[in-house]
Amino acid sequence: MINTGKFIEKSFFIAAIFSAALTFIIFVFMIFLSLPLFKGGLFFNILGNPWKPEHGIFGVYPMLIGTVLIVLLSLCWAFPLSLGSSVLISVIAPPRFSKLLKKIVQMMTGIPTVIYGFVGVFLLVPFIREMFNAGSGMNILTASLMLAMVISPTMIIIFTDSFENIPQAYSDAIDALGGSAIQKLIYVILPCSWKGILTGLILSLGRAMGDTLIALMIAGNAVAVPDSIFESARTLTSHIALVIAADFDSIEFRSIFTCGIVLYMFTTILILLVRFLGRMSLKNK
Amino acid sequence: MKEPNSENNIIKATNISFYYNKKIVLKEISVEIPECSIFAVVGPSGQGKTTFLKIFNRLWETIPYARLEGEVNIRLNGKWINIYEKSVSLPFLRRSVGMIFQTPNPLPMSIFKNVAFPLKLSGYKDKLLIEKKVEDVLKKVYLWNEVKNRLVDDARSLSGGQQQRLCIARALIFEPEILLMDEPTSFLDAKSGRIIETLLLSLKDRCTILLISHSMEQVKRIADLTMELSII
Repeated sequence: MINTGKFIEKSFFIAAIFSAALTFIIFVFMIFLSLPLFKGGLFFNILGNPWKPEHGIFGVYPMLIGTVLIVLLSLCWAFPLSLGSSVLISVIAPPRFSKLLKKIVQMMTGIPTVIYGFVGVFLLVPFIREMFNAGSGMNILTASLMLAMVISPTMIIIFTDSFENIPQAYSDAIDALGGSAIQKLIYVILPCSWKGILTGLILSLGRAMGDTLIALMIAGNAVAVPDSIFESARTLTSHIALVIAADFDSIEFRSIFTCGIVLYMFTTILILLVRFLGRMSLKNK
Repeated sequence: MKEPNSENNIIKATNISFYYNKKIVLKEISVEIPECSIFAVVGPSGQGKTTFLKIFNRLWETIPYARLEGEVNIRLNGKWINIYEKSVSLPFLRRSVGMIFQTPNPLPMSIFKNVAFPLKLSGYKDKLLIEKKVEDVLKKVYLWNEVKNRLVDDARSLSGGQQQRLCIARALIFEPEILLMDEPTSFLDAKSGRIIETLLLSLKDRCTILLISHSMEQVKRIADLTMELSII
């Protein structure tokens, strides 16, 4: 029996080491493949330059800006939306209604991203075009709105889970003192579940950063640096997808590994930043 | 039905039946409770004692698929009210009918904030008044001397018995007319339990206490009336 226990323990250990190692292996792999760029000192040029392959310039600066704008903007839409939905589901709505809502949200996480893309192309793009008189309608605003729809369900589920994990004793205490649902939310639920809120934010940030299809389908894919949210843009991920579909083993192709590394480091930095902010707010309590 | 009119009663419950998921938990219970008494509810586990208490502050309403039949009248501020009428405000009811749970349940905040919390809920702003009320009520539960130098500490750092007295203080800050107590001493050592019993006896002259108890000795020591919830 002891051996079985040890065996199981070891298996889990190996699984954990393996998945942790993968993260680093992928990083090393990307560095290795983009080595030619590092040798020529091209890496930093690539970060700051525009994308003009016909002139031999393979910079990804416009995509960098496009990614940051689309991702941050989509979080700006998705965060209040998800927080509100989670409060409705776990604090305000009567039990049966909240169960129904939760089922719907769970179903939404299962819908393939390409479907959201379709909805974006055929409903949201024309709407934004008419509403703001914004050219083709394929722009940063449209993509960020649709991306918010893609990441919200995950955020809502993580938020509601952490809201519902509040110890029953706290909930009873507030109820017995005649506190309202909203008072319970403000004084107990939110202060107790900031960790879950942070986790939800980090995961959806990763999801938004990694999503390729939404931006590819509805951000317009322009390679110029956007001046406003009504202009088309290309994200790093959709740039990779577009280049990889057309070419392999040229400098052009190598340059997309830089995109990969930048995406990787970007996500890491943002996650660290969010965690740091979380720790700061904890200290201030 | 006649209006409840007994002079010194404070609670009159008639034909109370309680269902949970179609299962009957309490069946046709009628009871009258005189004011300023300790009314003990005894009986084996799983007979709905906790549910019975929650009828008087409507706390059972958060339980899904539960249903209540019957009528509950309570005399608050000298006026009989049917607590299940729509016009009754839940915050008012719960501030007049306090509840103490089996496990002490201080909130994750400081000792002072815990006791002042009900005042915050009802929008008190006057800091001096709040400080005075907190001090008074902590003295009432014999906790002031133990915590006066550590009011800013987390309430969860107190011992079990202190935590339970803190919860009683928190419930007392609105000067409730009725206190519902669900085995308040069952998780405490004998000494802490005795302190709470003494406290209950001292509270009796200003409020009516409904006490669930497992211990017949405790009931004998402090209860004025006893009701047994037996198997249906």
